Amino acid sequence: MNYEQAELLDRLAAEYTLGTLRGRARRRFERLLADSAAARSAVYRWEDHWSALSRTVPPVEPSPQVWAAVNRRLFGGDAAAGAAPRVRRRRAWQLAAAAGLVAVVLIAGLIMRQLAPPPLQTLAVLGTDTAHPVWRLERRLPLAALTIEVVGTVPPAAGKSYELWALPRGGAAPVSLGLLPAAGRAERTLSEPQRLALLAADKVAVSVEPLGGSPTASPTGPIVIVTNVPATG
Amino acid sequence: MSRNELDGAELEALLSRCAAGDRAALETLYTRVAPILLAVLMRILRRRDAAEDALQDVFVSVWQRARQFDPIRGRALAWLVSMARYRAIDLQRATRPAVALSEVSTLEPQLQSEGPAESSDMLGTGALLLRCLEQIEAPQRRCLMLAYEEGLTHSEIARAVNEPLGTVKSWVRRSLIALRRCLES
Repeated sequence: MNYEQAELLDRLAAEYTLGTLRGRARRRFERLLADSAAARSAVYRWEDHWSALSRTVPPVEPSPQVWAAVNRRLFGGDAAAGAAPRVRRRRAWQLAAAAGLVAVVLIAGLIMRQLAPPPLQTLAVLGTDTAHPVWRLERRLPLAALTIEVVGTVPPAAGKSYELWALPRGGAAPVSLGLLPAAGRAERTLSEPQRLALLAADKVAVSVEPLGGSPTASPTGPIVIVTNVPATG
Repeated sequence: MSRNELDGAELEALLSRCAAGDRAALETLYTRVAPILLAVLMRILRRRDAAEDALQDVFVSVWQRARQFDPIRGRALAWLVSMARYRAIDLQRATRPAVALSEVSTLEPQLQSEGPAESSDMLGTGALLLRCLEQIEAPQRRCLMLAYEEGLTHSEIARAVNEPLGTVKSWVRRSLIALRRCLES
């Protein structure tokens, strides 16, 4: 290779790595890279130089769903093998469903139109499968409180908390209903936003969160359970 | 925090373990470099969701292509960052909103290196690049930074710096030649 060719290769490698080589020229250069060791080594040199610039940008912590999705796409097993779904926060529960993580609805939609006095209704039983219920959610209309009772074995999650979410109909953002107890029975008074969210919800979900709950207003960890809840009459 | 911990030899070792099918190595690699790669991706793609999707793609490729990484050819971080940047550039047209000029023109490229926290061992030839960039005239240097960090095309740069396209193209070309000379000296 003569000097001029080497110069040209280096210039193309510089613009390729800088990102200003675009479109068809970029594709052509990529084909050349596959065949030309000289082109590759020119690219490697520039990549090494430029990479110093990426160290001047402050790092940004990815959401936990990204790693979960990588894991699922590469090693996902089950239904997730091959074309696994992409995660976007809003759709996290749908994707959990697609990935086969969804629990089975055990009981839902009991007595909706009751005469007074309002009884305690089972809202949903959450579990990892039909044979293993874990939590029972009960409510009393007009839904000022939610009772959560552990009815099975809570799957161990060291250093993590299980958080309950209301998923409003129509895809609005999930609203936290607080942490699920690890044992016993908890009576949870609902705030007005929680109450409205649950009244508007057609599903509830459980996500695995850092100890103490999601650091944001949305689920950050894997959604392990999604289940329907009856419409509120 | 991770800056001091990030060490090229460790990244290389992790990549070769990935090439051997070690899943735990991929996870460690992810915790080390994903925040850096996400920062790079967000600068180019502008939207966090698009950048996180790209980050997923990058790590899937890292796993699949770890065997192609040749430690002789360069440092692991450069390989990883490049993979992320090229993915972002390929996705860009489809996902990035039109460049808002006001936004771009307020972006000041960060040329400062990281100071004492950044070990010279890690930067290596990169430190040299920063020195060489400083020798390029500010407007030309700005074009390079807009291309590298923001992923702007020639025409987007031309709009951002309010110069004719031809001028920007020749600035970029000549700056790269000057950089190459400085890097070789």
